[in-house]
Amino acid sequence: MNDQELDALLATPLPERDVGEFSVLLMEKIAQHEARPARILAWITSGVMLVVIAAACVFGASAIGHVQLGDDTHLLVPAALLGLTLILSYTVLQSVRE
Amino acid sequence: MDDRELVERAVKSRDVAAFNALARQNQSQVRGLLMRLTRGNHALADDLAQETFLEAWRGITNFRGESSFSTWLYRIAYSRFLMQARKRKPDEPLDDWDGTTPSSEGQAQARIDLERAMKKLAPAESAALTLCFALGLSNTEAADTMQIPLGTLKSHVLRGREKLKVILGDQS
Repeated sequence: MNDQELDALLATPLPERDVGEFSVLLMEKIAQHEARPARILAWITSGVMLVVIAAACVFGASAIGHVQLGDDTHLLVPAALLGLTLILSYTVLQSVRE
Repeated sequence: MDDRELVERAVKSRDVAAFNALARQNQSQVRGLLMRLTRGNHALADDLAQETFLEAWRGITNFRGESSFSTWLYRIAYSRFLMQARKRKPDEPLDDWDGTTPSSEGQAQARIDLERAMKKLAPAESAALTLCFALGLSNTEAADTMQIPLGTLKSHVLRGREKLKVILGDQS
């Protein structure tokens, strides 16, 4: 093979590749990347919500004198609210993931 | 719409549709380059191509237009390949390739022989030849893409061509 033949062979354009699936996958990855800040925000929001509600429950209960901190039996309502908040946070997270 | 206008739209308004059009226009070349570098490993080449375009999307605001958009993509693709090659264990071989691709069925035997011969070159030689010949970059652009001195690029091209001549000569 001489130089000219080799150059001509090397200069052959690379084979065309099917764009369909590749493009769809890429767009999905970009969409996931773009949704990342929203996901992080959802995590932070959930965390803040949890802390605020928990603090409000405990503070509210102790302020009205229904419960002394450390009295387990009367912490049932705040604990239930806390559980509810956790469930809500998990739901928010799942919806953001989708 | 050409690359320049699409890049402008993608940069200014983070227009995903414009970037998608850019990706569609350039995907074949980027995947082809990576296919040569990975010696025909389709899955790996496509993974690296996806990473290349995702990185391009993330960093598109850093694209200053000093080179063409495609050259910028080739540079990202080549550096992605090098990063992946460094991570791969030294004794872990790349997939063996018989020189055919899904789109190359029925193409000339010479083409298949070339792809087989390319497999025997060092990645830098294969990249230099692909960038300079198949993708039509100037030596300066190819050296810039591979981030190597111009002299080194020329020696890769020279050495690659000599090796190919010997390999293809033996085959014929």
